[in-house]
Amino acid sequence: MSRSDVELTTEQSVQARSQAPWWKASAPILITGLVLVVVWAVLSLFVDTLPGPGDTAAELARMASDGELFSIFGRITLFMGVCFVIAAVGGVALGLLLGSKRWLDRGLSPYLAALQGMPTSMWIPVAAVVLGTSPWSLAAVVSIGAMPAIMLGTRSAVANVPPLLIRAGRTYGADGGTLLRHVVLPAALPGIMTGLELGWSIAFRCLVAGEIFSGALSGTGIGDVIDRSRETGDLTEMMATIMIVLAFTLIVDRLVFAKVQHRLRVSRGLVDTGLPH
Amino acid sequence: MSASVSLTDVAQAFPGRERARLALDGITLDIEPGQFVCVVGPSGCGKSTLLDLVAGHTRPARGAVSVDGAAVKGPGLDRVMVFQDHALFPWMSVADNVAFGLKNAGIPEAEREARVAKWLGKVGLTDAASLHPHQLSGGMRQRAALARAFAMKPQVLLMDEPFSALDAPSRDRLHVELQELWADTETTIIFVTHNVREAIALGDRVIVLSSGPGRIIGDVPVALNRPRVVESERVVALAHKVRGLLDEADQLGITTPREGGDSYVSI
Repeated sequence: MSRSDVELTTEQSVQARSQAPWWKASAPILITGLVLVVVWAVLSLFVDTLPGPGDTAAELARMASDGELFSIFGRITLFMGVCFVIAAVGGVALGLLLGSKRWLDRGLSPYLAALQGMPTSMWIPVAAVVLGTSPWSLAAVVSIGAMPAIMLGTRSAVANVPPLLIRAGRTYGADGGTLLRHVVLPAALPGIMTGLELGWSIAFRCLVAGEIFSGALSGTGIGDVIDRSRETGDLTEMMATIMIVLAFTLIVDRLVFAKVQHRLRVSRGLVDTGLPH
Repeated sequence: MSASVSLTDVAQAFPGRERARLALDGITLDIEPGQFVCVVGPSGCGKSTLLDLVAGHTRPARGAVSVDGAAVKGPGLDRVMVFQDHALFPWMSVADNVAFGLKNAGIPEAEREARVAKWLGKVGLTDAASLHPHQLSGGMRQRAALARAFAMKPQVLLMDEPFSALDAPSRDRLHVELQELWADTETTIIFVTHNVREAIALGDRVIVLSSGPGRIIGDVPVALNRPRVVESERVVALAHKVRGLLDEADQLGITTPREGGDSYVSI
């Protein structure tokens, strides 16, 4: 065996160790999911009113066959996607403004903190009366409701940017807008992501609260399911819908937030590559 | 491309708990274009404040700071700073870090890339261009910081203890490389350090500061041949002289053990 062969195999083995196959990476997720389903099945044996995984799966199959599943999934994606993009763009922009203008921060932050502390869904009745019970009214509450958390997250992230990087930016000719865009924003990005995740969960809560308040407010179909379950007392469709929403949030977390967080950490050297994972 | 730097009766103070504390007082200093000036002094003597004043990060409480005859009003691309902690942007590759200042200076892309390549080559980081700072060793990071600074072709280069966090072999190599880079560009350098030998090895002239508040207590010309290394006998001998100045002002808080004594340690 020549020396280059040895080196190649060493490099290959290190590379293989750093890139685990997908089934190895997702095995813990699948196993935990299975355990949860078993717990659910056992619970449903003792609680008569709780539909078991079997019934729910059958209901999901029915919803899939008549297209309701995809319709709900698609409408949730559209509604949440649009609302969240508005909340994220507005929240990050205003958060950066708060982070760079001290007097604005002093004046607004206490109110933002209060707004973030109270449940956003309290605004839904107000919005329903003032703006009417249309998807637009709920979309406004969801978008604006998620903003304080994103703004505050962005503001703290900006405040935590090491002053040395700001100085380095100034020394190398960045000022005002350039400094904000090319130094402050990238330096604050990991913190901003945390604020965005918080904003996302607040937005989703608010959406469902709107549906509970009055039927088909968002147009996602969740409200119709809630209404039907309320009338019939049969929770099977409700459980199936909960599974759809759960799948939706799981996919968003895995494919968007977890991925972005990982990439941010890797590019900033916050993942210890010296250790095998 | 170099400029003169002059400070006239400069004082700077920082607000304290009860009253403001003077960091620098009565500093008058004229630096010729292209001169390599080292500033030594005990920690807390206002060395870094001196650099901040020239860089335009702060304004003096009294006196005037001017570069190339013009008063310093704020940070400018003619004066570039190298920090103790490299201060590279962690989310950018080494090449992007070096290109950052050039981009802000409005240099067209083709020339920018050429300059980045040139300076990465000079500091021996061509192969590391696409790596991020966290993937480099401490010495390589500080080299990247040097490339970032020299690529700007600054009139004045301000260096704030840039090598103090490095291991001795990396530091020795960088001492030689820095002297070569300076010889190529003939930029004015103000190099702040607490290491007396480093100051002698690098500077044309060594300014000795006392602490609390910082005042100039010595201005030692160094006329040794370059490139110099910290171990050279002449450097060591001159370093003793500067240490003597600091001792006279009792600035080290200890009496330096003398040569021949059991506790004598070569500095």
